[in-house]
Amino acid sequence: MKPKISPIKPFYSEGRIIEQKNEYAGYLDLLIEDKVISRYGKPGQFVMVKGWHSNDPILARPFDIVQTDSANNLFRLVIKITGRGTELLNSLKTGDMLKITGPLGNPVKIKVNENIALLVRGVGAASVVYLAESAKKAGVNVYTFLSASTKSRLVCRDYLREASTDLNIATDDGSEGFHGDARDLLEQHIKKLKPDSKPGRIYTCGSKRFARFVSDLERKGLTKGYVFLESYMACGIGDCHGCAVKKKNNTGYFLVCKDGPVFPVNSVELD
Amino acid sequence: MVNLNVDIAGVTLKNPVMPASGTYEYTGMHNSIFPPDKLGAVVTKTIFIEPREGNKPPRICETPCGMLNSIGIPTEGVDSFIKNNLPLLAGYGVPVIVSIAGDTIEDFCEIANIIEGTGKADLLELNLSCPNLNHGIEWARNKKQLYRIIKKIKESTHIPIIAKLSPSVDDISEMALIAESAGANAVALINTYKGMKIDIGKRRPFLGNTAGGLSGPAVHPLAVYAIFSTFKKISIPIVGIGGIASWKDAIEMILAGSAAVGVGMYNFVNPAVMGEVIEGIEHYLAENNFDCPADLIGLAHF
Repeated sequence: MKPKISPIKPFYSEGRIIEQKNEYAGYLDLLIEDKVISRYGKPGQFVMVKGWHSNDPILARPFDIVQTDSANNLFRLVIKITGRGTELLNSLKTGDMLKITGPLGNPVKIKVNENIALLVRGVGAASVVYLAESAKKAGVNVYTFLSASTKSRLVCRDYLREASTDLNIATDDGSEGFHGDARDLLEQHIKKLKPDSKPGRIYTCGSKRFARFVSDLERKGLTKGYVFLESYMACGIGDCHGCAVKKKNNTGYFLVCKDGPVFPVNSVELD
Repeated sequence: MVNLNVDIAGVTLKNPVMPASGTYEYTGMHNSIFPPDKLGAVVTKTIFIEPREGNKPPRICETPCGMLNSIGIPTEGVDSFIKNNLPLLAGYGVPVIVSIAGDTIEDFCEIANIIEGTGKADLLELNLSCPNLNHGIEWARNKKQLYRIIKKIKESTHIPIIAKLSPSVDDISEMALIAESAGANAVALINTYKGMKIDIGKRRPFLGNTAGGLSGPAVHPLAVYAIFSTFKKISIPIVGIGGIASWKDAIEMILAGSAAVGVGMYNFVNPAVMGEVIEGIEHYLAENNFDCPADLIGLAHF
Protein backbone atom coordinates (compact mmCIF):
# COMPACT_ATOMS: atom_id res chain seq x y z
CA MET A 1 0.00 0.00 0.00
CA LYS A 2 1.27 3.44 -0.90
CA PRO A 3 1.76 5.77 2.03
CA LYS A 4 -0.85 8.49 2.09
CA ILE A 5 0.74 11.84 1.34
CA SER A 6 -1.03 14.72 2.98
CA PRO A 7 -0.22 18.24 1.84
CA ILE A 8 1.88 20.31 4.21
CA LYS A 9 -0.10 22.43 6.64
CA PRO A 10 0.20 26.18 6.09
CA PHE A 11 2.62 28.38 7.99
CA TYR A 12 2.39 32.07 8.79
CA SER A 13 5.83 33.49 8.14
CA GLU A 14 7.80 36.28 6.57
CA GLY A 15 9.33 36.66 3.15
CA ARG A 16 11.71 39.28 1.78
CA ILE A 17 11.35 40.92 -1.61
CA ILE A 18 14.45 40.14 -3.66
CA GLU A 19 13.39 41.60 -6.98
CA GLN A 20 10.36 43.39 -8.38
CA LYS A 21 9.61 43.99 -12.03
CA ASN A 22 6.84 45.77 -13.93
CA GLU A 23 7.54 44.13 -17.26
CA TYR A 24 3.89 44.21 -18.30
CA ALA A 25 1.80 47.32 -17.78
CA GLY A 26 -0.47 46.89 -14.78
CA TYR A 27 1.31 43.80 -13.45
CA LEU A 28 3.84 43.28 -10.70
CA ASP A 29 6.36 40.43 -10.75
CA LEU A 30 7.78 39.70 -7.29
CA LEU A 31 10.65 37.38 -6.45
CA ILE A 32 10.48 36.56 -2.74
CA GLU A 33 12.92 34.86 -0.40
CA ASP A 34 11.38 32.61 2.24
CA LYS A 35 11.83 29.18 3.76
CA VAL A 36 8.32 27.77 3.52
CA ILE A 37 6.66 28.46 0.18
CA SER A 38 9.91 27.99 -1.76
CA ARG A 39 10.22 24.49 -0.27
CA TYR A 40 6.70 23.26 0.18
CA GLY A 41 4.57 25.17 -2.34
CA LYS A 42 3.10 22.93 -5.05
CA PRO A 43 1.50 23.63 -8.44
CA GLY A 44 -2.07 24.82 -7.97
CA GLN A 45 -1.42 26.22 -4.52
CA PHE A 46 -1.62 29.83 -3.43
CA VAL A 47 -0.50 32.17 -0.66
CA MET A 48 -2.11 35.02 1.29
CA VAL A 49 0.17 38.06 1.28
CA LYS A 50 0.14 41.29 3.24
CA GLY A 51 2.97 43.79 2.82
CA TRP A 52 1.82 46.66 5.00
CA HIS A 53 1.25 47.09 8.75
CA SER A 54 -1.86 49.23 8.59
CA ASN A 55 -5.34 47.79 9.10
CA ASP A 56 -6.64 49.75 6.14
CA PRO A 57 -6.77 47.84 3.90
CA ILE A 58 -7.01 45.05 6.42
CA LEU A 59 -7.02 41.76 4.55
CA ALA A 60 -4.12 39.88 3.01
CA ARG A 61 -4.46 39.17 -0.74
CA PRO A 62 -4.48 35.71 -2.36
CA PHE A 63 -2.06 34.90 -5.21
CA ASP A 64 -1.15 31.69 -6.99
CA ILE A 65 2.44 30.52 -6.69
CA VAL A 66 4.18 31.08 -10.05
CA GLN A 67 7.59 29.49 -9.52
CA THR A 68 9.60 28.02 -6.66
CA ASP A 69 13.34 27.51 -6.26
CA SER A 70 13.93 25.53 -3.08
CA ALA A 71 17.72 25.49 -3.52
CA ASN A 72 17.83 29.27 -3.24
CA ASN A 73 14.76 29.74 -0.95
CA LEU A 74 12.93 31.72 -3.60
CA PHE A 75 9.45 31.85 -5.04
CA ARG A 76 7.70 34.11 -7.50
CA LEU A 77 4.31 35.82 -7.67
CA VAL A 78 2.83 37.70 -10.60
CA ILE A 79 0.18 40.16 -9.46
CA LYS A 80 -2.38 42.16 -11.37
CA ILE A 81 -2.60 45.65 -9.89
CA THR A 82 -6.30 46.17 -9.38
CA GLY A 83 -6.88 48.07 -6.16
CA ARG A 84 -5.45 49.44 -2.93
CA GLY A 85 -3.88 46.21 -1.68
CA THR A 86 -2.08 45.40 -4.91
CA GLU A 87 -1.06 49.07 -5.32
CA LEU A 88 0.54 48.91 -1.88
CA LEU A 89 2.38 45.74 -2.88
CA ASN A 90 3.51 47.53 -6.04
CA SER A 91 4.96 50.38 -3.95
CA LEU A 92 7.25 48.07 -1.94
CA LYS A 93 10.98 47.96 -2.51
CA THR A 94 13.67 45.32 -2.64
CA GLY A 95 14.37 44.18 0.90
CA ASP A 96 10.87 44.94 2.19
CA MET A 97 9.17 42.19 4.19
CA LEU A 98 5.87 40.46 3.49
CA LYS A 99 3.64 38.45 5.83
CA ILE A 100 2.75 35.22 4.09
CA THR A 101 0.30 32.45 4.95
CA GLY A 102 0.73 29.29 2.95
CA PRO A 103 1.05 27.09 1.07
CA LEU A 104 -2.74 26.97 0.72
CA GLY A 105 -5.25 25.03 -1.33
CA ASN A 106 -4.93 21.63 -2.94
CA PRO A 107 -1.98 20.86 -5.21
CA VAL A 108 -2.74 19.72 -8.75
CA LYS A 109 -1.79 16.08 -9.21
CA ILE A 110 0.25 15.45 -12.34
CA LYS A 111 -0.34 12.15 -14.12
CA VAL A 112 2.86 11.15 -15.87
CA ASN A 113 1.16 9.39 -18.77
CA GLU A 114 -1.29 12.10 -19.66
CA ASN A 115 -0.48 15.18 -21.73
CA ILE A 116 -2.08 18.46 -20.74
CA ALA A 117 -3.21 21.66 -22.40
CA LEU A 118 -3.39 25.05 -20.71
CA LEU A 119 -5.81 27.68 -21.97
CA VAL A 120 -5.26 30.97 -20.19
CA ARG A 121 -5.91 34.67 -20.52
CA GLY A 122 -4.61 37.78 -18.75
CA VAL A 123 -3.44 37.24 -15.18
CA GLY A 124 -4.78 33.67 -15.45
CA ALA A 125 -1.45 32.87 -17.09
CA ALA A 126 0.30 33.29 -13.74
CA SER A 127 -1.72 30.47 -12.19
CA VAL A 128 -0.52 27.76 -14.58
CA VAL A 129 3.22 28.48 -14.95
CA TYR A 130 4.14 26.24 -12.01
CA LEU A 131 1.88 23.46 -13.23
CA ALA A 132 3.40 23.65 -16.73
CA GLU A 133 6.93 23.53 -15.38
CA SER A 134 6.28 20.58 -13.07
CA ALA A 135 4.37 18.62 -15.70
CA LYS A 136 7.07 19.15 -18.30
CA LYS A 137 9.72 18.00 -15.81
CA ALA A 138 7.65 14.87 -15.23
CA GLY A 139 7.83 14.12 -18.97
CA VAL A 140 4.33 15.29 -19.80
CA ASN A 141 3.73 17.26 -23.00
CA VAL A 142 2.36 20.69 -22.07
CA TYR A 143 0.52 22.53 -24.86
CA THR A 144 -0.08 26.09 -23.73
CA PHE A 145 -2.47 28.59 -25.31
CA LEU A 146 -1.89 32.08 -24.00
CA SER A 147 -4.33 34.83 -24.86
CA ALA A 148 -4.55 38.58 -24.30
CA SER A 149 -6.13 41.63 -25.87
CA THR A 150 -2.75 42.81 -27.11
CA LYS A 151 0.95 41.95 -27.10
CA SER A 152 1.84 44.06 -24.05
CA ARG A 153 -0.61 42.09 -21.92
CA LEU A 154 0.80 38.62 -22.63
CA VAL A 155 1.67 38.16 -18.97
CA CYS A 156 4.12 35.38 -18.09
CA ARG A 157 4.83 34.76 -21.79
CA ASP A 158 8.52 34.06 -21.21
CA TYR A 159 7.89 31.85 -18.17
CA LEU A 160 5.33 29.87 -20.12
CA ARG A 161 7.60 29.52 -23.15
CA GLU A 162 10.24 27.98 -20.92
CA ALA A 163 7.78 25.82 -18.98
CA SER A 164 5.71 24.50 -21.90
CA THR A 165 6.52 21.92 -24.55
CA ASP A 166 4.75 24.16 -27.00
CA LEU A 167 3.53 27.74 -26.44
CA ASN A 168 0.85 29.16 -28.73
CA ILE A 169 -0.10 32.80 -28.53
CA ALA A 170 -3.32 34.53 -29.60
CA THR A 171 -4.06 38.23 -29.39
CA ASP A 172 -7.37 39.96 -30.06
CA ASP A 173 -5.66 42.63 -32.20
CA GLY A 174 -3.14 40.35 -33.89
CA SER A 175 -0.17 42.23 -32.44
CA GLU A 176 1.46 38.90 -31.62
CA GLY A 177 0.79 35.30 -32.63
CA PHE A 178 -2.58 34.18 -33.92
CA HIS A 179 -4.99 37.03 -34.67
CA GLY A 180 -8.16 35.92 -32.95
CA ASP A 181 -9.55 33.60 -30.34
CA ALA A 182 -7.28 31.19 -28.47
CA ARG A 183 -10.12 28.66 -28.39
CA ASP A 184 -9.96 28.35 -32.18
CA LEU A 185 -6.21 28.06 -31.99
CA LEU A 186 -6.49 25.27 -29.43
CA GLU A 187 -9.06 23.35 -31.46
CA GLN A 188 -6.99 23.60 -34.66
CA HIS A 189 -3.92 22.50 -32.82
CA ILE A 190 -5.46 19.50 -31.11
CA LYS A 191 -6.92 18.26 -34.40
CA LYS A 192 -3.41 18.04 -35.80
CA LEU A 193 -2.08 15.92 -32.91
CA LYS A 194 -1.89 12.14 -33.14
CA PRO A 195 -4.47 10.43 -30.91
CA ASP A 196 -1.86 9.22 -28.42
CA SER A 197 -0.37 12.68 -27.94
CA LYS A 198 -3.65 14.58 -27.52
CA PRO A 199 -4.10 16.22 -24.10
CA GLY A 200 -6.07 14.17 -21.57
CA ARG A 201 -6.72 17.21 -19.45
CA ILE A 202 -7.18 20.89 -20.12
CA TYR A 203 -6.64 23.48 -17.40
CA THR A 204 -8.04 26.96 -17.85
CA CYS A 205 -7.78 30.21 -15.94
CA GLY A 206 -8.59 33.88 -16.36
CA SER A 207 -11.66 33.80 -18.60
CA LYS A 208 -15.22 32.61 -18.05
CA ARG A 209 -15.61 32.12 -21.82
CA PHE A 210 -12.64 29.78 -21.78
CA ALA A 211 -14.05 27.91 -18.79
CA ARG A 212 -17.36 27.38 -20.58
CA PHE A 213 -15.49 26.21 -23.68
CA VAL A 214 -13.48 23.67 -21.66
CA SER A 215 -16.69 22.57 -19.99
CA ASP A 216 -18.18 21.89 -23.45
CA LEU A 217 -15.10 19.95 -24.56
CA GLU A 218 -15.47 17.73 -21.53
CA ARG A 219 -19.19 17.22 -22.13
CA LYS A 220 -18.39 16.13 -25.69
CA GLY A 221 -16.05 13.54 -24.19
CA LEU A 222 -12.95 15.09 -25.78
CA THR A 223 -10.97 15.77 -22.62
CA LYS A 224 -11.21 16.27 -18.90
CA GLY A 225 -11.42 19.94 -17.93
CA TYR A 226 -10.28 21.87 -14.87
CA VAL A 227 -10.65 25.50 -13.92
CA PHE A 228 -8.54 27.63 -11.58
CA LEU A 229 -10.98 29.84 -9.64
CA GLU A 230 -10.46 33.00 -7.66
CA SER A 231 -12.77 34.68 -5.19
CA TYR A 232 -12.99 37.34 -2.53
CA MET A 233 -11.25 35.69 0.38
CA ALA A 234 -10.45 36.80 3.93
CA CYS A 235 -8.37 33.99 5.41
CA GLY A 236 -7.40 31.42 2.75
CA ILE A 237 -7.46 28.56 5.25
CA GLY A 238 -11.12 27.61 5.47
CA ASP A 239 -12.08 29.64 8.53
CA CYS A 240 -14.08 32.52 7.10
CA HIS A 241 -16.24 30.68 4.51
CA GLY A 242 -16.12 33.86 2.44
CA CYS A 243 -14.87 32.34 -0.83
CA ALA A 244 -17.97 30.28 -1.62
CA VAL A 245 -18.60 29.17 -5.19
CA LYS A 246 -21.78 27.42 -6.27
CA LYS A 247 -21.66 23.70 -6.92
CA LYS A 248 -23.21 22.49 -10.16
CA ASN A 249 -27.01 22.27 -10.14
CA ASN A 250 -27.33 24.39 -7.00
CA THR A 251 -26.33 21.60 -4.67
CA GLY A 252 -24.54 23.85 -2.20
CA TYR A 253 -21.17 25.57 -2.15
CA PHE A 254 -17.50 24.77 -2.41
CA LEU A 255 -14.91 26.96 -0.75
CA VAL A 256 -12.29 28.09 -3.27
CA CYS A 257 -9.54 27.99 -0.63
CA LYS A 258 -10.31 24.62 0.94
CA ASP A 259 -11.91 22.62 -1.87
CA GLY A 260 -9.95 24.30 -4.71
CA PRO A 261 -8.61 26.52 -6.05
CA VAL A 262 -8.58 24.10 -9.01
CA PHE A 263 -11.95 22.42 -9.70
CA PRO A 264 -13.22 19.91 -12.26
CA VAL A 265 -14.81 22.38 -14.64
CA ASN A 266 -18.20 20.68 -14.59
CA SER A 267 -18.43 20.53 -10.79
CA VAL A 268 -19.01 24.28 -10.41
CA GLU A 269 -21.49 26.83 -11.75
CA LEU A 270 -19.63 29.09 -14.15
CA ASP A 271 -22.38 31.78 -14.18
CA MET B 1 4.86 34.16 38.33
CA VAL B 2 1.77 35.13 36.39
CA ASN B 3 -1.12 32.68 36.40
CA LEU B 4 -3.27 33.18 33.30
CA ASN B 5 -6.23 31.08 34.53
CA VAL B 6 -9.65 32.66 34.40
CA ASP B 7 -13.04 31.43 35.54
CA ILE B 8 -16.15 31.67 33.40
CA ALA B 9 -19.31 30.33 35.02
CA GLY B 10 -17.39 27.79 37.08
CA VAL B 11 -15.28 26.60 34.15
CA THR B 12 -11.54 27.23 34.40
CA LEU B 13 -9.78 28.45 31.27
CA LYS B 14 -5.97 28.25 31.25
CA ASN B 15 -5.86 31.67 29.63
CA PRO B 16 -8.51 34.28 28.80
CA VAL B 17 -8.30 33.96 24.99
CA MET B 18 -10.69 32.15 22.69
CA PRO B 19 -11.80 32.56 19.08
CA ALA B 20 -15.10 34.29 18.41
CA SER B 21 -17.57 31.74 17.04
CA GLY B 22 -17.13 31.15 13.32
CA THR B 23 -13.62 32.52 12.94
CA TYR B 24 -11.43 29.48 13.64
CA GLU B 25 -12.04 25.98 12.28
CA TYR B 26 -10.75 22.85 13.94
CA THR B 27 -9.59 21.13 10.77
CA GLY B 28 -5.89 20.88 11.52
CA MET B 29 -5.09 23.83 9.26
CA HIS B 30 -3.90 25.82 12.27
CA ASN B 31 -1.60 23.13 13.65
CA SER B 32 1.60 24.66 12.27
CA ILE B 33 0.52 28.23 13.13
CA PHE B 34 -1.45 28.30 16.37
CA PRO B 35 -2.92 24.94 17.46
CA PRO B 36 -6.25 24.81 19.33
CA ASP B 37 -4.83 23.17 22.46
CA LYS B 38 -3.13 26.49 23.31
CA LEU B 39 -6.47 28.30 23.53
CA GLY B 40 -8.29 29.22 26.72
CA ALA B 41 -11.32 27.48 25.21
CA VAL B 42 -12.40 26.15 21.84
CA VAL B 43 -15.54 27.78 20.47
CA THR B 44 -17.49 26.20 17.62
CA LYS B 45 -19.21 27.70 14.65
CA THR B 46 -22.91 27.98 15.54
CA ILE B 47 -24.65 24.61 15.42
CA PHE B 48 -28.26 24.21 14.26
CA ILE B 49 -30.49 21.13 14.23
CA GLU B 50 -30.24 20.79 10.45
CA PRO B 51 -27.24 21.45 8.19
CA ARG B 52 -27.14 24.86 6.50
CA GLU B 53 -25.56 25.93 3.22
CA GLY B 54 -24.93 29.57 4.01
CA ASN B 55 -25.72 32.63 1.94
CA LYS B 56 -25.03 33.27 -1.72
CA PRO B 57 -21.78 35.03 -2.63
CA PRO B 58 -20.23 37.53 -2.48
CA ARG B 59 -20.17 36.84 1.23
CA ILE B 60 -17.48 39.23 2.38
CA CYS B 61 -16.50 42.78 1.70
CA GLU B 62 -13.50 44.67 2.99
CA THR B 63 -14.31 47.99 4.70
CA PRO B 64 -12.07 50.60 6.36
CA CYS B 65 -10.31 48.71 9.20
CA GLY B 66 -12.83 45.90 9.06
CA MET B 67 -15.06 43.74 6.96
CA LEU B 68 -18.69 42.99 6.34
CA ASN B 69 -19.73 39.38 6.20
CA SER B 70 -22.97 37.79 5.13
CA ILE B 71 -21.68 34.22 5.45
CA GLY B 72 -24.98 32.98 6.88
CA ILE B 73 -23.46 30.25 9.06
CA PRO B 74 -22.92 27.29 6.72
CA THR B 75 -22.74 24.44 9.20
CA GLU B 76 -23.30 20.78 9.69
CA GLY B 77 -26.37 19.75 11.65
CA VAL B 78 -26.18 18.80 15.30
CA ASP B 79 -26.13 15.03 14.61
CA SER B 80 -23.09 15.24 12.38
CA PHE B 81 -21.45 17.66 14.78
CA ILE B 82 -21.71 15.40 17.81
CA LYS B 83 -20.65 12.35 15.82
CA ASN B 84 -17.77 13.81 13.82
CA ASN B 85 -16.49 16.97 15.44
CA LEU B 86 -17.38 17.24 19.11
CA PRO B 87 -15.20 14.24 20.12
CA LEU B 88 -12.27 15.85 18.29
CA LEU B 89 -12.83 19.17 20.07
CA ALA B 90 -13.09 17.49 23.45
CA GLY B 91 -9.76 15.81 22.71
CA TYR B 92 -7.83 19.08 22.80
CA GLY B 93 -7.95 19.11 26.58
CA VAL B 94 -9.35 22.63 26.87
CA PRO B 95 -12.93 23.64 27.70
CA VAL B 96 -15.38 23.28 24.83
CA ILE B 97 -17.88 26.06 24.17
CA VAL B 98 -20.58 25.03 21.72
CA SER B 99 -22.36 27.88 20.00
CA ILE B 100 -25.98 27.06 19.19
CA ALA B 101 -28.93 28.69 17.45
CA GLY B 102 -32.31 27.85 16.01
CA ASP B 103 -35.45 29.32 14.53
CA THR B 104 -37.51 28.72 17.65
CA ILE B 105 -37.03 28.43 21.41
CA GLU B 106 -37.81 24.74 21.05
CA ASP B 107 -34.94 24.36 18.56
CA PHE B 108 -32.52 25.95 20.99
CA CYS B 109 -33.72 23.73 23.83
CA GLU B 110 -33.52 20.59 21.70
CA ILE B 111 -29.94 21.28 20.62
CA ALA B 112 -28.97 22.17 24.18
CA ASN B 113 -30.35 18.83 25.33
CA ILE B 114 -28.57 16.88 22.61
CA ILE B 115 -25.27 18.61 23.35
CA GLU B 116 -25.70 18.07 27.08
CA GLY B 117 -26.36 14.39 26.44
CA THR B 118 -22.87 13.96 25.02
CA GLY B 119 -21.21 15.17 28.23
CA LYS B 120 -18.53 16.79 26.08
CA ALA B 121 -19.47 20.48 26.21
CA ASP B 122 -18.43 22.71 29.10
CA LEU B 123 -20.38 25.80 28.11
CA LEU B 124 -23.10 26.67 25.63
CA GLU B 125 -23.01 29.98 23.83
CA LEU B 126 -26.43 31.10 22.64
CA ASN B 127 -26.11 32.92 19.35
CA LEU B 128 -29.01 35.29 19.88
CA SER B 129 -27.63 38.00 17.68
CA CYS B 130 -26.53 36.90 14.21
CA PRO B 131 -27.42 39.66 11.73
CA ASN B 132 -27.29 37.22 8.82
CA LEU B 133 -30.13 34.95 9.88
CA ASN B 134 -33.73 35.81 9.04
CA HIS B 135 -34.69 36.66 12.58
CA GLY B 136 -31.32 35.93 14.15
CA ILE B 137 -30.82 39.30 15.73
CA GLU B 138 -34.35 39.62 17.08
CA TRP B 139 -33.78 37.43 20.12
CA ALA B 140 -31.31 39.96 21.42
CA ARG B 141 -33.38 43.03 20.55
CA ASN B 142 -36.66 42.23 22.20
CA LYS B 143 -36.51 42.24 26.01
CA LYS B 144 -39.39 39.83 26.56
CA GLN B 145 -38.11 37.38 23.96
CA LEU B 146 -34.60 37.54 25.34
CA TYR B 147 -35.82 36.78 28.84
CA ARG B 148 -38.08 33.97 27.68
CA ILE B 149 -35.55 32.16 25.53
CA ILE B 150 -32.81 32.21 28.15
CA LYS B 151 -35.21 31.16 30.89
CA LYS B 152 -36.47 28.23 28.81
CA ILE B 153 -33.02 27.05 27.84
CA LYS B 154 -31.86 27.29 31.44
CA GLU B 155 -34.80 25.10 32.45
CA SER B 156 -33.86 22.46 29.92
CA THR B 157 -30.10 22.18 30.40
CA HIS B 158 -27.57 22.09 33.21
CA ILE B 159 -24.65 23.31 31.11
CA PRO B 160 -23.79 26.90 31.99
CA ILE B 161 -24.74 29.30 29.22
CA ILE B 162 -23.21 32.38 27.68
CA ALA B 163 -25.70 34.70 25.99
CA LYS B 164 -24.12 36.37 22.96
CA LEU B 165 -25.78 39.74 22.54
CA SER B 166 -26.20 42.23 19.74
CA PRO B 167 -24.86 45.77 19.81
CA SER B 168 -27.73 46.84 17.54
CA VAL B 169 -29.93 47.88 20.51
CA ASP B 170 -30.55 51.09 22.43
CA ASP B 171 -28.67 49.99 25.54
CA ILE B 172 -26.83 46.70 25.54
CA SER B 173 -26.28 46.87 29.31
CA GLU B 174 -30.04 46.57 29.84
CA MET B 175 -30.14 43.51 27.61
CA ALA B 176 -27.23 42.00 29.56
CA LEU B 177 -29.11 42.64 32.80
CA ILE B 178 -32.16 40.85 31.39
CA ALA B 179 -29.97 37.94 30.30
CA GLU B 180 -28.58 37.72 33.82
CA SER B 181 -32.03 37.86 35.44
CA ALA B 182 -33.20 35.06 33.14
CA GLY B 183 -30.38 32.87 34.37
CA ALA B 184 -27.50 33.35 31.91
CA ASN B 185 -24.18 32.44 33.49
CA ALA B 186 -22.20 34.88 31.34
CA VAL B 187 -22.69 37.25 28.44
CA ALA B 188 -20.62 37.66 25.28
CA LEU B 189 -20.42 41.25 24.04
CA ILE B 190 -20.61 41.95 21.11
CA ASN B 191 -21.80 40.29 17.93
CA THR B 192 -21.33 42.17 14.65
CA TYR B 193 -23.09 45.40 13.69
CA LYS B 194 -25.47 45.16 10.79
CA GLY B 195 -24.20 47.14 7.82
CA MET B 196 -23.97 47.16 4.06
CA LYS B 197 -21.90 48.16 1.07
CA ILE B 198 -23.24 49.31 -2.29
CA ASP B 199 -21.42 48.61 -5.55
CA ILE B 200 -21.64 52.03 -7.24
CA GLY B 201 -20.73 50.55 -10.63
CA LYS B 202 -23.59 48.05 -10.58
CA ARG B 203 -25.72 50.32 -8.38
CA ARG B 204 -26.67 47.25 -6.36
CA PRO B 205 -25.87 45.95 -2.86
CA PHE B 206 -22.40 44.39 -2.95
CA LEU B 207 -23.11 41.41 -0.70
CA GLY B 208 -25.12 38.48 -2.02
CA ASN B 209 -27.42 38.75 0.97
CA THR B 210 -27.76 42.58 0.69
CA ALA B 211 -26.54 43.40 4.21
CA GLY B 212 -24.06 41.79 6.58
CA GLY B 213 -22.31 42.07 9.91
CA LEU B 214 -19.47 44.54 10.45
CA SER B 215 -16.46 43.38 12.43
CA GLY B 216 -12.78 44.16 12.82
CA PRO B 217 -10.75 46.95 14.44
CA ALA B 218 -13.34 49.49 13.22
CA VAL B 219 -15.78 48.26 15.89
CA HIS B 220 -13.29 47.86 18.76
CA PRO B 221 -14.01 51.20 20.49
CA LEU B 222 -17.74 50.43 20.26
CA ALA B 223 -17.19 47.02 21.84
CA VAL B 224 -15.06 48.51 24.62
CA TYR B 225 -17.84 50.95 25.44
CA ALA B 226 -20.49 48.21 25.37
CA ILE B 227 -18.46 46.24 27.90
CA PHE B 228 -17.60 49.25 30.03
CA SER B 229 -21.22 50.35 30.25
CA THR B 230 -22.40 46.84 31.13
CA PHE B 231 -19.76 45.81 33.64
CA LYS B 232 -21.14 47.55 36.72
CA LYS B 233 -24.73 46.58 36.03
CA ILE B 234 -24.27 42.82 36.12
CA SER B 235 -22.48 40.34 38.32
CA ILE B 236 -21.95 37.58 35.75
CA PRO B 237 -18.73 37.52 33.69
CA ILE B 238 -18.41 39.18 30.29
CA VAL B 239 -16.61 37.63 27.34
CA GLY B 240 -15.37 40.65 25.42
CA ILE B 241 -15.47 40.37 21.63
CA GLY B 242 -15.14 43.00 18.93
CA GLY B 243 -12.22 44.06 16.79
CA ILE B 244 -9.36 42.67 18.84
CA ALA B 245 -6.25 42.86 16.66
CA SER B 246 -3.52 42.78 19.31
CA TRP B 247 -2.85 42.09 22.98
CA LYS B 248 -3.33 45.79 23.70
CA ASP B 249 -6.89 45.63 22.40
CA ALA B 250 -7.49 42.59 24.62
CA ILE B 251 -6.12 44.37 27.70
CA GLU B 252 -8.50 47.28 27.00
CA MET B 253 -11.39 44.82 26.90
CA ILE B 254 -10.36 43.34 30.24
CA LEU B 255 -9.88 46.76 31.83
CA ALA B 256 -13.37 47.68 30.61
CA GLY B 257 -14.79 44.65 32.37
CA SER B 258 -14.24 41.44 30.37
CA ALA B 259 -13.24 38.27 32.20
CA ALA B 260 -12.15 36.65 28.92
CA VAL B 261 -11.84 37.79 25.33
CA GLY B 262 -12.82 36.44 21.94
CA VAL B 263 -10.72 37.20 18.88
CA GLY B 264 -12.82 37.33 15.72
CA MET B 265 -12.09 38.55 12.21
CA TYR B 266 -8.43 39.30 12.96
CA ASN B 267 -7.82 35.55 12.91
CA PHE B 268 -8.34 35.91 9.16
CA VAL B 269 -5.75 38.67 8.89
CA ASN B 270 -3.13 37.12 11.16
CA PRO B 271 -3.71 33.44 11.93
CA ALA B 272 -1.13 33.65 14.72
CA VAL B 273 -2.82 36.57 16.49
CA MET B 274 -4.38 34.60 19.37
CA GLY B 275 -0.95 33.29 20.40
CA GLU B 276 0.41 36.84 20.29
CA VAL B 277 -2.52 38.05 22.43
CA ILE B 278 -1.92 35.37 25.08
CA GLU B 279 1.78 36.21 25.25
CA GLY B 280 1.09 39.93 25.34
CA ILE B 281 -1.39 39.61 28.21
CA GLU B 282 1.11 37.55 30.19
CA HIS B 283 3.82 40.14 29.57
CA TYR B 284 1.61 43.04 30.54
CA LEU B 285 0.54 41.36 33.78
CA ALA B 286 4.13 40.52 34.73
CA GLU B 287 5.47 43.97 33.89
CA ASN B 288 2.76 45.67 35.89
CA ASN B 289 2.96 43.27 38.85
CA PHE B 290 -0.43 41.67 38.51
CA ASP B 291 -0.79 38.00 39.46
CA CYS B 292 -3.63 37.04 37.16
CA PRO B 293 -6.06 38.46 34.57
CA ALA B 294 -8.82 38.64 37.21
CA ASP B 295 -6.84 41.43 38.92
CA LEU B 296 -7.35 43.58 35.82
CA ILE B 297 -11.06 43.04 35.22
CA GLY B 298 -12.90 46.34 35.17
CA LEU B 299 -9.96 48.33 36.57
CA ALA B 300 -10.76 51.22 34.23
CA HIS B 301 -13.81 51.89 36.43
CA PHE B 302 -11.93 52.45 39.67
